Amino acid sequence: MNIFYYLVPVAFVLAGAGVWAFVWAVRMGQFEDVETPAYRMLLDDPQHTEDS
Amino acid sequence: MDTVQLDLPSPGAALADTPCAHCGLPAGVHPADAGPQFCCTGCAVVYDALHEAGLGDTYYKVQQIDDRRQPAALVEDDLALAELDTASFLAEHTSPAPDGCLETELVLDGVHCAACVWLVERLPFEVDGVHSARLDLPRSRLSLRWQPTATPLSAVGAWLAGFGYALRPVRADARRRRSDAERGLLIRMGICWALAGNVMLIAFALYSGLADSHPSLAHAARYASLALGLASLVAGGSVFIKRAWASIRHSLRVPGGFSDRMRRLHMDVPVALGLLVGFGHSAWATVTGQGEVWFDSLSVLTAALLTARWVQLRSQRLAGDATDRLLALLPTMVRRVLDDGTLETARADELEPGDLVEIPAGDVVPVDGVVDTGRSALDNAVLTGESRPIAVHPGDTVEAGGTNLRAPLRVRVQAAGESTRIGALLRWVREAQDQHAPVTLLADRFGGWFVAAVLGLSVISLGVSLAVAPDETVSRLVALLVITCPCALSMATPLAMAVHSGRAARRGLFIKSSAAIQALTNVDTIVLDKTGTVTEGRMSLAVTHGDLDALRLAALLEAHSDHPVAVAFVQQFSISPGDHTTENTAATRSDTIVHEAVAGAGLRGWIDDQLVVVGRPDWVAEHASMPAEWACHIGDITAEALTPVAIAVDGAVRAVAGVGDRIRSGSTEIIRSLRDGGFSVHLLSGDHPSVVDAVARQLGIRADHAVGRATPEDKRVYIERLRAAGQRVCVAGDGVNDAGALQAADVGLAVHGGRTASLVAADAFLTVPGLNPLADALRSAAGTMRLVRHLLVFSAGYNVLGAAAAVAGLVTPLVAAVAMPISSLVVVAGAVYQAGRLPRTQQRMKPDRLQPDSSAQPPTNPLIQPT
Repeated sequence: MNIFYYLVPVAFVLAGAGVWAFVWAVRMGQFEDVETPAYRMLLDDPQHTEDS
Repeated sequence: MDTVQLDLPSPGAALADTPCAHCGLPAGVHPADAGPQFCCTGCAVVYDALHEAGLGDTYYKVQQIDDRRQPAALVEDDLALAELDTASFLAEHTSPAPDGCLETELVLDGVHCAACVWLVERLPFEVDGVHSARLDLPRSRLSLRWQPTATPLSAVGAWLAGFGYALRPVRADARRRRSDAERGLLIRMGICWALAGNVMLIAFALYSGLADSHPSLAHAARYASLALGLASLVAGGSVFIKRAWASIRHSLRVPGGFSDRMRRLHMDVPVALGLLVGFGHSAWATVTGQGEVWFDSLSVLTAALLTARWVQLRSQRLAGDATDRLLALLPTMVRRVLDDGTLETARADELEPGDLVEIPAGDVVPVDGVVDTGRSALDNAVLTGESRPIAVHPGDTVEAGGTNLRAPLRVRVQAAGESTRIGALLRWVREAQDQHAPVTLLADRFGGWFVAAVLGLSVISLGVSLAVAPDETVSRLVALLVITCPCALSMATPLAMAVHSGRAARRGLFIKSSAAIQALTNVDTIVLDKTGTVTEGRMSLAVTHGDLDALRLAALLEAHSDHPVAVAFVQQFSISPGDHTTENTAATRSDTIVHEAVAGAGLRGWIDDQLVVVGRPDWVAEHASMPAEWACHIGDITAEALTPVAIAVDGAVRAVAGVGDRIRSGSTEIIRSLRDGGFSVHLLSGDHPSVVDAVARQLGIRADHAVGRATPEDKRVYIERLRAAGQRVCVAGDGVNDAGALQAADVGLAVHGGRTASLVAADAFLTVPGLNPLADALRSAAGTMRLVRHLLVFSAGYNVLGAAAAVAGLVTPLVAAVAMPISSLVVVAGAVYQAGRLPRTQQRMKPDRLQPDSSAQPPTNPLIQPT
């Protein structure tokens, strides 16, 4: 069972990575508008790409 | 639309309110045979594109349109565009990016649907210097990034205005505060769920007997869950502990006896108490290796409570966003006349008394002052509710907020900005809102008694366990506090409220606070504003009798006049004002010659060799024969407080019309159903008492409940008097003149198209026309409060059972860990399920696109009454 002394911290690190990704997504505003992107998908891709 | 059958030799078709052929929003009044009409250019472009591709029929068959769209906004004028480039505007609303670009977030009025997203996000390809444009459709927000040296913001505004979209600034501080609060809570929620998940994993190992098989591993596991539990307490629990502490401090400060103080404690107090005691006990148990740990229950509890709070915050975001729009009622930019007679644009708040400003026709008066030169008519409906324009001459005083209808005016400034009468009213609304004491929510009222009950139980439990099992005293006490922690109880109200606001918003009713939902259930009196609420708020042909062709000729002639009556004719027939030879769907090409225009009487002119006379009936009778039947119709029109207009063609009266503020379709039925439902309905208006009485009579409102010529102050006093008499009042209004009344009422409801000030003052507002959502709101609020009571009873029952078990010493951590999430789950399921059964009576205005001539219209068209 000594394997748990390694596995549990590894699990914590993985969970921490998930939390970090979540916090990053919130800070980037990924959850601000969950409706418009669904419409945006329907629009044609522009021929020339944006420069930003 | 084939339902309108005229028994007249009329070649034209009848007029009807026409929905946009693409998205179904109102697109104005057009003849039924005029083909597809659109609310905005975006819709027209998409409609054409779909039909060209042969996809139109399929698309309109399968698509779903939401109800909460707003009609295309008025296009901004160049003055408002000029403001976008002023240094102070840029400093306040934009932030620089590293590469020299500027970034800003603005409200874009008039965006409705996917077509608008497509059109607006074409900006970078259509306007040089714009690097990116992203539209947030539900919130009508445009995020813009552009190179100010390449293009001014006004050029972007002008491009958007060309499509009927209007750029408006938002109060940046309020937006950032709300957005930060929501993001912060979402992050806490995510962290707490992650922590709760990991603590649960460890807890499963402990429950399944890890301590017996591997004592040292179990010891480490307890320490690991202590660390995670501490993190959960800091990240999530602190929210509740802070609020509980604030509530305790507040209750200690207020004067009053013990029960007064207890009442001030809200639900966060028992929550915080449970969290702290549970954590303290578990930490002690971990360190000493004796007793139970509760970290799993505590962390799940914290995460669930945060989730409920976040859902509630998010559901109120849309409503909050809409009210944050700058109080844009008064123009912020004015045209100042300099000493040498030239004009310059200036900010309104820089004006000094004595300055001279020019107000072109169609603009809103920005200042209080005295007319210096010019004669015109003002529409003061926003200020007074009076729907009839008022003539102004040099020497007359004008007030900010009115709209100049006819000719340019030069006004000597007496007061500008916040010192104007309307500015003072707006300031009062803002301040009153800041001080508006929130109604104590049902669940929060329990908070104090809940604490008292738990403390009382603790004493009992203490006594029982000291007598029965002295060893277990502490653990039983802690078990009691944890199991009675009112997780379900404090989640019930916010969740039910959040689900309710979300559904109401989808039906066009935005509710700003949970307190408003609760207040709505107690309402017994409904006060309606007339102009713009039960009526359409603008002059139109309310009644017509006779030949439609004659009416059309009259409209062609009236296109040469800018009298309000003339404007009503012109709008009805979609004729561009001033067109001498008009070619459009409503009128064929004609030669119009105005022969005579008599002020206050009417117009005489030639159209295609026909002599047309339009005007006051007695004046028309001087020029044409007037059979007795017309006089009868004119009598009816006058009795309804409308302005009668007679139309004679070639010497004989062919039609009469009543011009006035038409009652919205459906108002009568809704008011009847409200009165049948036991509500007492009042009508309040600044309009002329005879008009108000006539409207009240038509709507079936008692004469002593209809008050005319009420100033904004009168309205407020009227509401306050009703409330003092013990009635619970809901006010529905749209104008600034209603803002005071909306604020004073138990529930203020701003109707569709309302002014910003009324949105700020109101507790809820409608985004679809008509009063339908009001009836819906009253019904569904009652349903939601019933649901809240059911959930509260369930949660209280759970807590009582839990407390009994704890006092009896039956609660183990396992029981708590299972019972808590289950009770919360029941509450969540109840909230979602019950809200799904709320009545859905609101009919969406949606044309039957495949059969454009099918009878989507009511059986009788109130506009055209067969003679």
